[in-house]
Amino acid sequence: MQTYLLKWWQTIRISWSKYTAYRLNFFLQVVGPFLVFFFIKYNLWSSIYEGSSTPVIKGYNFSDMMHYHIWTLIISLLGQGYAAMNLSEDIRLGRISSYLIYPFEFWEFHTAGFVSFQILQVFVSSITLCLAVFFGFIEFPSLSIILTGFSFTLFMGMFWFTMQYFTGLLAFWLEETWIMRVLLSIIVSFLSGYIFPLELYPEWLVGALKYSPFPYMSYFPAKIFMGQEVNLTLGYSVLTFWIAVFAYINHLIWKKGMRLYTAAGM
Amino acid sequence: MSQKVIEVINLTKQFKSYKKKPGLKGSLQSFFNRKYSIKKAVHGFNLEINKGEIIGLLGPNGAGKTTLMKMFTGIIVPTSGELTINGHSPWERKKEFKKKIALVMGQKSQLWWDIPAMDSFLLLQKFYELSNQEFKQRLDYMSELLGVVDLLHVHVRKLSLGERMKMELMASLLHNPDVIFLDEPTIGLDLVAQENIRAFILDFHKKNGTTIIITSHYMADVQALCKRLVLIFDGTKAYDGPLEKFENILGNEKTVSFTFSEEIPCCGYLDEFHGEWNEGRTSVDIRVPEENLREVGKKVLDLHPVIEFNTEKMPIERVMKTLMTNPEVLRAQRDHANLPA
Amino acid sequence: MISSLKHYLGVYRYFVTTSVSEALSFRTSFILLVLMDIFFYFSVLFSVDFLFDHMQTIGPWNRYQLLFFICFMLNIDTIHMGVFSSNFWMLGFKIRTGELDFDLLKPTHSIFICFFRYLKPSSLLTAPVAWGLLIYYGSKIGLLWYDWLLIPPLLLLGLSLLCVLEFILCTSMFWLVEGMGINFLRMQMQQMARWPDFIYKYTYQKIFTIGVPLLLIGSGPVHFILDKSNWHYLAGMCLAIVISTLILVKIWNKALRQYDSASS
Repeated sequence: MQTYLLKWWQTIRISWSKYTAYRLNFFLQVVGPFLVFFFIKYNLWSSIYEGSSTPVIKGYNFSDMMHYHIWTLIISLLGQGYAAMNLSEDIRLGRISSYLIYPFEFWEFHTAGFVSFQILQVFVSSITLCLAVFFGFIEFPSLSIILTGFSFTLFMGMFWFTMQYFTGLLAFWLEETWIMRVLLSIIVSFLSGYIFPLELYPEWLVGALKYSPFPYMSYFPAKIFMGQEVNLTLGYSVLTFWIAVFAYINHLIWKKGMRLYTAAGM
Repeated sequence: MSQKVIEVINLTKQFKSYKKKPGLKGSLQSFFNRKYSIKKAVHGFNLEINKGEIIGLLGPNGAGKTTLMKMFTGIIVPTSGELTINGHSPWERKKEFKKKIALVMGQKSQLWWDIPAMDSFLLLQKFYELSNQEFKQRLDYMSELLGVVDLLHVHVRKLSLGERMKMELMASLLHNPDVIFLDEPTIGLDLVAQENIRAFILDFHKKNGTTIIITSHYMADVQALCKRLVLIFDGTKAYDGPLEKFENILGNEKTVSFTFSEEIPCCGYLDEFHGEWNEGRTSVDIRVPEENLREVGKKVLDLHPVIEFNTEKMPIERVMKTLMTNPEVLRAQRDHANLPA
Repeated sequence: MISSLKHYLGVYRYFVTTSVSEALSFRTSFILLVLMDIFFYFSVLFSVDFLFDHMQTIGPWNRYQLLFFICFMLNIDTIHMGVFSSNFWMLGFKIRTGELDFDLLKPTHSIFICFFRYLKPSSLLTAPVAWGLLIYYGSKIGLLWYDWLLIPPLLLLGLSLLCVLEFILCTSMFWLVEGMGINFLRMQMQQMARWPDFIYKYTYQKIFTIGVPLLLIGSGPVHFILDKSNWHYLAGMCLAIVISTLILVKIWNKALRQYDSASS
């Protein structure tokens, strides 16, 4: 058991040094989204509010809207990384064979990579949060809100990972899985409330989404961070359900893909 | 009248790199406070090569061979020193220069993975502005010589390593370059493929009088192709001269092995040579000065029940091995024998 | 001059054929790419259209003017995706693996090989969709016959500016070795240009119009189409392209001088 945990720890460390090897890249990935948020979303929404006849759109005044968008930004940094990108490359370039020999399985290796990425993203999102507070976009929320929000978002990150893992596994059949990832992220950004808060959508749509994982990927945690009342039990149970579903699907796909892989002797 | 194709004077290349301690802490440390160090990949290198020569550039891993090749072809820019290839400074990357050289790297591929080699060749035809006639003629000549005529329309990813290497060679030589740089062209190939490629290079050289610089860790390549060797250690030139002289760098003794049908008891004539015996004293390797070879051989054959004997095929391999483990031998040798350096 | 143009066109023809031949061997990816692009168009249009359900104008523009602008940018995007985008990703990869070595050996200019080598033929199929959208919203804002004639050259002008700026940015990959961060930044740059210049506050607007002329890419041409007295935008774009090209050549040469080629 102990040696098993050591393996995990070592793998996490290796992926960590991979992520931080290129300093400036890392810096750009931290600062990039914040700057873009600042330039585009801030400017865009302020001109929208200037052009609007009412100062309140569906219950959001300008500063509410800004708060909402800053939190969705921090949530996406924390919970929607791109850790599963190497996975499809491994499959496509036939590097799986080496995992078949290691006494450490493919999914374990990539999950360890994900864990290390999450640790990194906790730093990144905290820095972003501090920047946002520093520039006066938001106020620092209470500790209990921070803890509830971060833990929910990290949990959501697990769902995101199982879904990314799913698209990565499609590399057994598809040459380029990034297309699937882009498609998925477009869908998610709309349905999760990353682009517009869900209140702006028609009610039937919001109702239909309630048991899907989408609202819990941006809208729901943003509400937690903004200190609003949410049904945490519902959020956790819906996500748990979907994590289980995707984990099972991934398991099946992996089995099927492996049969294909070994048969073709790629 | 020989014409100089390559002239190198005091060439130096430095690289900057940083070191990282292992683990999380090391990563964090190097993230914030990076210590750079300067590594001299090549320094004070001099060389002259005439038209039509085939030169073997030898040295252990990391000695600077590939760095030299990349400077010769203009891929990287020297830190200091002078370098002229075919009358050009490679780093100016002139079109006329590029049309006259070729670089083949055994460890990298320039062919497009997901399409047949022929498609890549057609693109190269356009790159080098070759007429259809030239193109077809060279393609036919090379693909026949290498035995890959049937593979031209197969997707590159479906080719074996040996087949792919042959395609790489063709891709690099289609434009009939004056100077060819071959960086480990036979690495990882089976013996037959290695031989095919050597034969091809020799044929190409004979036909076109091309100047060729080749690096390899396989001494068979060097033995078969090169008349002149340049040895590089730690970025500087350690030897430059004919192959035969290199073979004798550690003295002119030859290694001779004998195998006997029965155990040879200690201590007879053979033991005078302080040879290396096997466990049961049924075979021995001895070192014999070249001029005594016939005499000693005759005597051993007369004295003992020899069932097999041979002299070493590739003394160069033994010399390389000795030098790589013991580079200072070379310096001592050079001082004594006044070898060209 | 003519012969060298012929040389480059000849090479480019084979860039196209090899790219097509590669793309067609991956059928599923090809279809998915088309789907993704179309999905992307409509997601952008939908979100702008959706905003106008809650207001009448954004800045000086009404719904159809803004949607026309968005379609103009989508058309630049489509050409950009088809002709250039793969190259930016490949450049990072090539520098990291040392495969760039082969490009530097070829007797054509290295900028040409690095940024024009790979095309994405699937964009040929999505381009008509983008044209259709542009024509639809163009007719909604009542363009005249000479406006229609102006659109193709203006698209090319915007595209050239975008590309030169991106080339400059990507040259920094030579120093950073890893391309991910730069490509990331590049996409953020595109994002900024996808909105009209007037949504940005005064200072930023000036910085990104004069300093880094990102906002000229789409806003310049569309301002001119909507009001011909805005010709100074076009003059600015031409000037920006010339200056950026000079900068590009300068730093490109500098980058190549210190390229140290991943060892094999």
